[in-house]
Amino acid sequence: MNEKKRKLYIDPRTKLLLLVTIAMFVMGGIGGSRMLPCTIVLCFIPLFLLLIQREWKNSIIYVLLYGLGCGMQIMLIPIAEGILGMLLLTVCVVVTRILPGVMMGRYVIRTTKVSEFVAGMEKMHVTNKITIPLSVLFRFFPTIIEEYSAINDAMKMRDIRLGGKKALQMLEYRLIPMITCSVKIGEELSAAALTRGLGAPVKRTNICKIGFGVTDYCIFTICMIIYVFWITGFV
Amino acid sequence: MNLNKENKLNGKDLINIGIYSAIYCVLVFVAAMLGCIPIFMPLLSVIIPLFGGIPYMLFLTKVKKFGMILIMTILIEIMMLLTGMGYFPLLIGFFAGLGAELVYKSGKYQNLFKGIISHGVFSIWVLGNYVLLCLNPDSYFATRQNLGEEYINALKGYTPMWIFPVLLVVCMVFGIVGGYLGKALLKKHFRKAGIA
Repeated sequence: MNEKKRKLYIDPRTKLLLLVTIAMFVMGGIGGSRMLPCTIVLCFIPLFLLLIQREWKNSIIYVLLYGLGCGMQIMLIPIAEGILGMLLLTVCVVVTRILPGVMMGRYVIRTTKVSEFVAGMEKMHVTNKITIPLSVLFRFFPTIIEEYSAINDAMKMRDIRLGGKKALQMLEYRLIPMITCSVKIGEELSAAALTRGLGAPVKRTNICKIGFGVTDYCIFTICMIIYVFWITGFV
Repeated sequence: MNLNKENKLNGKDLINIGIYSAIYCVLVFVAAMLGCIPIFMPLLSVIIPLFGGIPYMLFLTKVKKFGMILIMTILIEIMMLLTGMGYFPLLIGFFAGLGAELVYKSGKYQNLFKGIISHGVFSIWVLGNYVLLCLNPDSYFATRQNLGEEYINALKGYTPMWIFPVLLVVCMVFGIVGGYLGKALLKKHFRKAGIA
């Protein structure tokens, strides 16, 4: 994430707005089938951002998976029957619904530094009591998943898995180490943050310069059109 | 929030909130994956409170000041918003968090039994995800139209209107059961490991 690699700068606040909008309309499906054109527009935004980041591989995967999901749905809806058809259909829907959100979330986490995020939140006058835990939360997800997969490997070796000899202990032996590990890492993290003056009673300064540019205004306009379209649906 | 100096949340508390919320959210997401199968949708109100009890009870050992549980609930609801559950959970979650906070506060942040009850109250936030489904099923299913008739019919069969108060009770009861589970595991593992 060095400066050279960043092709296009987007304000963290804009990213947050995009994330919420995609979550509401694509993943949550608020507004029903009337919002379909808007959802399609929203689905293209993550692709656009990925291309700008030059993540060719991920963009191709995204297009393929999304296209496959959509195509399967159109083909399957008239002929899907029974439990198998239902399961297949569910998988397709889950893919088309969750994928744009996941890609967007991945993009946001990859391209936003924690201090940028904090700066953005400060500009929006969100209290520190929300900002600090929230940034810890986002910082922590990848760590937990990493720890979990390591624990998973260890437990597989001990034959503690689904259908193994000790299926009952499966959950306990995975959850407890995961929580213990996360708490230990968290303690170190908080010690590190305190050394850097997080607990100090003065107002923190931030060297990140954030501000709106042309791209931000474009994205804002798109989102506003979608929200207005949604609200007019009620009248 | 009116806080006097020594009761003020400091950086360490805030980081703790973030960590435990992250653990809780991971558990919730894993459980929520099961919601794809219709029968599991209402059952989520059993599964989430049950397993949520483990990180929650551990979290309570770190809670000594007013506002920590409330902030944790708000964070979880923000995550729900970001994963497409709509805006109702925020409302219900706020009150559930406030209730849980007050219950635990009444035990001066030390009483484990009050902590278990507090988890029961806290678990009500799960209901927020069902609000649309129960109170306005037609509009909810309109948003889920492309899941296919069979999924919708199956889900409709499991979630009639009267299930909402039932789910409320279920959430609270299993929240308390989950609290006991968490307490047992606290004793069995975390005390020994020296992190509780």
